[in-house]
Amino acid sequence: MDRRKIDVGLSTFLIIIAVIILTNDNLVEGGAETDLGSMFLPRIVAGLIIAFAATIGIQSLKSLLSGAKPEGGEEIITDGFGGIFVYIGIFIGYWLAVPHLGFLITTPIVMLAIAILLGGRNWVPMITISVITPVLIFYGSREFLRVFLPTWTLT
Amino acid sequence: MFDNILSGFSAILAVGPILGIITGVVVGIIFGAIPGISAIMAIAIILPMTFYVDPIIGITMLLAVYKAGIYGGSISAILINTPGAAASFLTALDGHALTKAGKAGKALDISLFSSVSGEMLATLVLILVAAPISAISLQAGPIEKVFLLLFAFTVIGTLAGESIPRGLLSCCLGMLFAMVGMSSITGASRFTFGFTELMAGFTFTPMLIGILVMPEVLNVIRRRRVPHHQLAITRSPNPADNRISFPEFRSVFRTILKSSGIGTFIGALPGLGSSTAAFIAYGEAKRTSKNPQKYGKGSVEGIAAAESANNAVCGSSMIPMLTLSIPGDDVAALLMGAFLIHGLTPGPMIFFEHTETIYAIFAGFLITDLFLLGIAKSGFSFFVKVASLRRYYIFPCVTVFAFTGAFTAGQNMDDILVLIAFTAMGYGMRMVGLNPAVFIVGFILTPFFEQNLDQALAIVGTEYHLLFASPFSWVFIALSFFFIYSGMRMRKKTAKNPPATEEECAQST
Repeated sequence: MDRRKIDVGLSTFLIIIAVIILTNDNLVEGGAETDLGSMFLPRIVAGLIIAFAATIGIQSLKSLLSGAKPEGGEEIITDGFGGIFVYIGIFIGYWLAVPHLGFLITTPIVMLAIAILLGGRNWVPMITISVITPVLIFYGSREFLRVFLPTWTLT
Repeated sequence: MFDNILSGFSAILAVGPILGIITGVVVGIIFGAIPGISAIMAIAIILPMTFYVDPIIGITMLLAVYKAGIYGGSISAILINTPGAAASFLTALDGHALTKAGKAGKALDISLFSSVSGEMLATLVLILVAAPISAISLQAGPIEKVFLLLFAFTVIGTLAGESIPRGLLSCCLGMLFAMVGMSSITGASRFTFGFTELMAGFTFTPMLIGILVMPEVLNVIRRRRVPHHQLAITRSPNPADNRISFPEFRSVFRTILKSSGIGTFIGALPGLGSSTAAFIAYGEAKRTSKNPQKYGKGSVEGIAAAESANNAVCGSSMIPMLTLSIPGDDVAALLMGAFLIHGLTPGPMIFFEHTETIYAIFAGFLITDLFLLGIAKSGFSFFVKVASLRRYYIFPCVTVFAFTGAFTAGQNMDDILVLIAFTAMGYGMRMVGLNPAVFIVGFILTPFFEQNLDQALAIVGTEYHLLFASPFSWVFIALSFFFIYSGMRMRKKTAKNPPATEEECAQST
């Protein structure tokens, strides 16, 4: 993947966001009157974002228009990206399931899924680790840190 | 100061802090030695567990993880030629050559002794220098602090990013995210879009784990088809090949001292980091060596130079953080967050408000070196075995620790969403060449900057020229321009001779 195209898209996006910050007064609510005002620093930062994003975007656009081939870090290696999407999907599923199924039920399934994603096929040690680790974390957090991880709520 | 150091030692020599240091050293070596896990990842995962203990125990434990993690990185560099960070690239170059010659024990030994020597020297400098600098910086009022923080943003953004605009853009994005929620000055809610959950801003720990730790996990997931390397110590039948003798150590001691000095100096400058220190010290050692032709082919002196400089950065990077509130690199930014969570605000006042705690932490820093030496020397085989565990055992556990760490911060499931969102953002930032560590620095320093800016403007009123009346202001403006200029020069040089990237280091195996 050509990073210069992402640079152009990202720069445009950041410039639009920065312009909204500079022009929209509804992004702040309430607050006391001060010398600075609540939006002084955000607007300064927005101005700087426009400057830096434009620099990056223009450099990349010029390089793209000149037909130069991507060099070094400009070429993004996308091999194995499928795994990243699966991993993020597992994590989102984990976040959605934990409040209902509880930490002790969900975590072993998630650990096993990640182990399989990473190519693990040694079932006995994988299952053992996936069961023992959440139990240790759950009771360790409760007893030593007084952190109560979510439990089963589907009754 | 001597009394403070003694009271620091008396505070640290108790069961709790010592257990914390031992745990930190063991965790740090294991995490550092596992290819794909760095010291920063270990600190971020351990951080939530320290919330519930005394700051002396918690902070010394984190610092022990840091020091041991940096050293642990050299184990995988030497044994399987997989440097965990760019700073260990040179160690891998000479260390792995020795491993192939059956002298892994010698390489590991010199790496350990050099690391500990470098760290001890830098820690002594930290102890002696930090308090006097803080006394000077106490003279600074809000106006001077504004310029100091502007200097910090400029230097870190200029030197740490892939390019100057990308570094500064990373810093600006961090600043923007820090302004989400209720303003501490006006009480106004900014960028909350009606979500009351955003009133307190983004929770620091999940954001930190998401931005700095989880992208490394995603990187491992992406490279999951790369074959697993088994760490193993090769042993020569000749015992002299498996250890470093005293005459050998004495012969490289000058190099260790010089490289530690270079590492200490570079570590004290914000934004340069351990890679720069290692490369400069290695180059200098090679230039002055009697056997420069051996460098890169299994030179003990080369390992000593790279490791002592690399590790000296650990101690000295604390100097700008503790005296001026400027975190010099990503680990210092993370540790600054840890200090804040423990109720210690890094800056000159820390030496007056938390004298006993800070000197206990310094004493812990020194004692950690001794424990690192003892634990690493006695447990080489154990650490190598643990670090050889396959990634499908390690990374599911890392994921669960990250989840638990993010949840622990506020016992709130929304923080997990913050973790997921910043994981994606952190990985995306790396892809487009933005620097997540600079983002974190921007995020941490912005509240201090805004507060001081408000106070400074209240002092000068409408007479804005008074902002430039103090010599401090001009010194920091001049320093900012100097660093921008030297950053540009450094980049031009680097463009001519590009150093190996982490990706290249990993692929070189």
